[in-house]
Amino acid sequence: MKLLTKTNRIYLAFSLVIYLLTAVAFYQIIRLVIYEEVENRLRVEKRDFQTYVRAHNAWSNIPYFVENKINVTPVVGRGARGEEFSDTLILNRYDHELIPFRQLTFYQPIQGVVHRVEIRKSLIQTYRLIEVMTVAMMLFLGLLLAGTFWFQGKLSGRLWYPFYDTLARIKGFDLSSGASLTLDSPQITEFRELNDVLQKMADKMQQDYRSLKEFTENASHEMQTPLALINAKVEQLIQSEQLTETQTHWIESIYQASRRISRLNQGLLLLAKIENRQFNDSQIIDLAGLLTEKLTDMEEVLSFKELSVSMQAMKPFDVMLPPALADILVTNLVNNAIKHNQVNGRIELVATTDKLCLSNTGGQLTSSPERLFERFKKESTGPDSVGLGLSIIRQIGDSYGLSIDYQETEGIHQFCLTRSQP
Amino acid sequence: MKVLVVEDEQGLAESITEYMVKDGYICETAATFQEAEEKIHLYIYDCVIVDLTLPDGNGFQIIETLKRLIATTGVIIISARNALEDKLKGLEIGSDDYLTKPFHLSELNARVKSLLRRRQFGGHTEIRFREIVVVPHTRNVFVTGQPTPLSRKEYDLLLYFLSNVDVALTKASIAEHLWGDNIDSADSFDMVYSHIKNLRRKLLEKGAADYVQSIYGIGYKFSQP
Repeated sequence: MKLLTKTNRIYLAFSLVIYLLTAVAFYQIIRLVIYEEVENRLRVEKRDFQTYVRAHNAWSNIPYFVENKINVTPVVGRGARGEEFSDTLILNRYDHELIPFRQLTFYQPIQGVVHRVEIRKSLIQTYRLIEVMTVAMMLFLGLLLAGTFWFQGKLSGRLWYPFYDTLARIKGFDLSSGASLTLDSPQITEFRELNDVLQKMADKMQQDYRSLKEFTENASHEMQTPLALINAKVEQLIQSEQLTETQTHWIESIYQASRRISRLNQGLLLLAKIENRQFNDSQIIDLAGLLTEKLTDMEEVLSFKELSVSMQAMKPFDVMLPPALADILVTNLVNNAIKHNQVNGRIELVATTDKLCLSNTGGQLTSSPERLFERFKKESTGPDSVGLGLSIIRQIGDSYGLSIDYQETEGIHQFCLTRSQP
Repeated sequence: MKVLVVEDEQGLAESITEYMVKDGYICETAATFQEAEEKIHLYIYDCVIVDLTLPDGNGFQIIETLKRLIATTGVIIISARNALEDKLKGLEIGSDDYLTKPFHLSELNARVKSLLRRRQFGGHTEIRFREIVVVPHTRNVFVTGQPTPLSRKEYDLLLYFLSNVDVALTKASIAEHLWGDNIDSADSFDMVYSHIKNLRRKLLEKGAADYVQSIYGIGYKFSQP
């Protein structure tokens, strides 16, 4: 729920409660005032009645008062004394409707006999008054409510505009694009402070990102250049005719070692780049198709190692990946399947729409399967492996929502890719 | 043939120059951005080898200037940066090739030759080495005038040898030339051996002399026996 909708709703509910309470209170007050008025008049009439009785010492039932306005009945025995007000309904003689009356009951001795006297006044006029006033009040309060609600909506929309503007800009902010975040400086202090803080954070993040990116690029450059130099010099050295067998052996070792460092360096930098999310041109890629392509590319290597390849249920396995990483992922998987295979072995590819499995024959595993994905973990200690291939696969998987499972049963090594739940 | 090497690492520039000079190229070097800018304004080169990261500037700018001055000059980028975006940018602004450091000098040499061939003769020139003739644009090989059918890898291997005559080539550089960067294992060296064996047999069958010499522990050399 949006902030403004939420505050508007709370405001609406609160106003409704307050207005209802006000209406009830108002109604009660008006009623009280009107009753007081009616009762005062009833008391005046009581006095008139008593004056009349004292003067004449009798009560004639001549219609001095209008019908239903007074009712005098003798009381047998001692009843309650004193006066009391009460509400009562009396049937109208003409239209047979029950009409509300306010009634004052008191006791008056007339010619030695105590009579109960009930004087009444119709409340019908005052009820109409209350009704009209209540309706008018409800109408005005309703209008006021709607008005303030509308105004509040407009006003807060305008007040919160800088906030929503900032939000939209942050949403559109891409760390790796290089464009810095620009935020306005709104008049409202809190929003201005918020923008200042966000601006500082974004700038810092961008600076960190840039320096990390630069670091990986520079580290790459600074390390690869001397390695290139070593390689070049070794290649030149190889050209000289009069090398002894021992010297050749040394040179070969140097050459091998420098190439290994170079590959190691590239692998580590690649891992850093993936972690740093420097690849951001993700697109939908069919990994099954890419794997098939890669296996076809490697045909010569496969036939040289006498490996047979079989493919089953080849459905496209689509994932969102940067193309460069997809290529590295597939290459590493295939290289792994070829490198750790045996002569006359098999490679099997099974692809369904949500699972992609590549299995290969090979020797029994000596270390724990989970540790294989760790950096510098390798099964063989051959010079042709730096032990980063699988950790690069894992890192790509972790960063782009792919889970990689490895299983080994009786010399069949199986790597399965599935899309992990985000 | 004039080649300019723009590389700030002096040793590497030297190695490239020496390698190229042996092949009969005229080679100049520039260690800084300024120097390179000056040289491309003053002289005309057939090929320029540019490092992207220079102490006082960016190699991309040199390529842009160069392409504005003489569009026909061949450009090869050598860089430690292996980001795809750099490669794409390089090719977009007019470079012809991109080599990631560290590279083999023999590979650079082969690429320069192939580039110059494409640039200057549209690939229509023949490569001759005594009784061997290679026609690159049709990928045909003739030995003593007879057509010699070679597999794709054997053809690539022969061309690589012919680009680096009299030079000791390491097994690793041959393997990488034939299969790309990702094939650098003990197995690939065995595959190199089998391809060399087949190429040698096919050449000998058509009456060529045995030019492929094996150098113990290192690799092979293509030279006159």
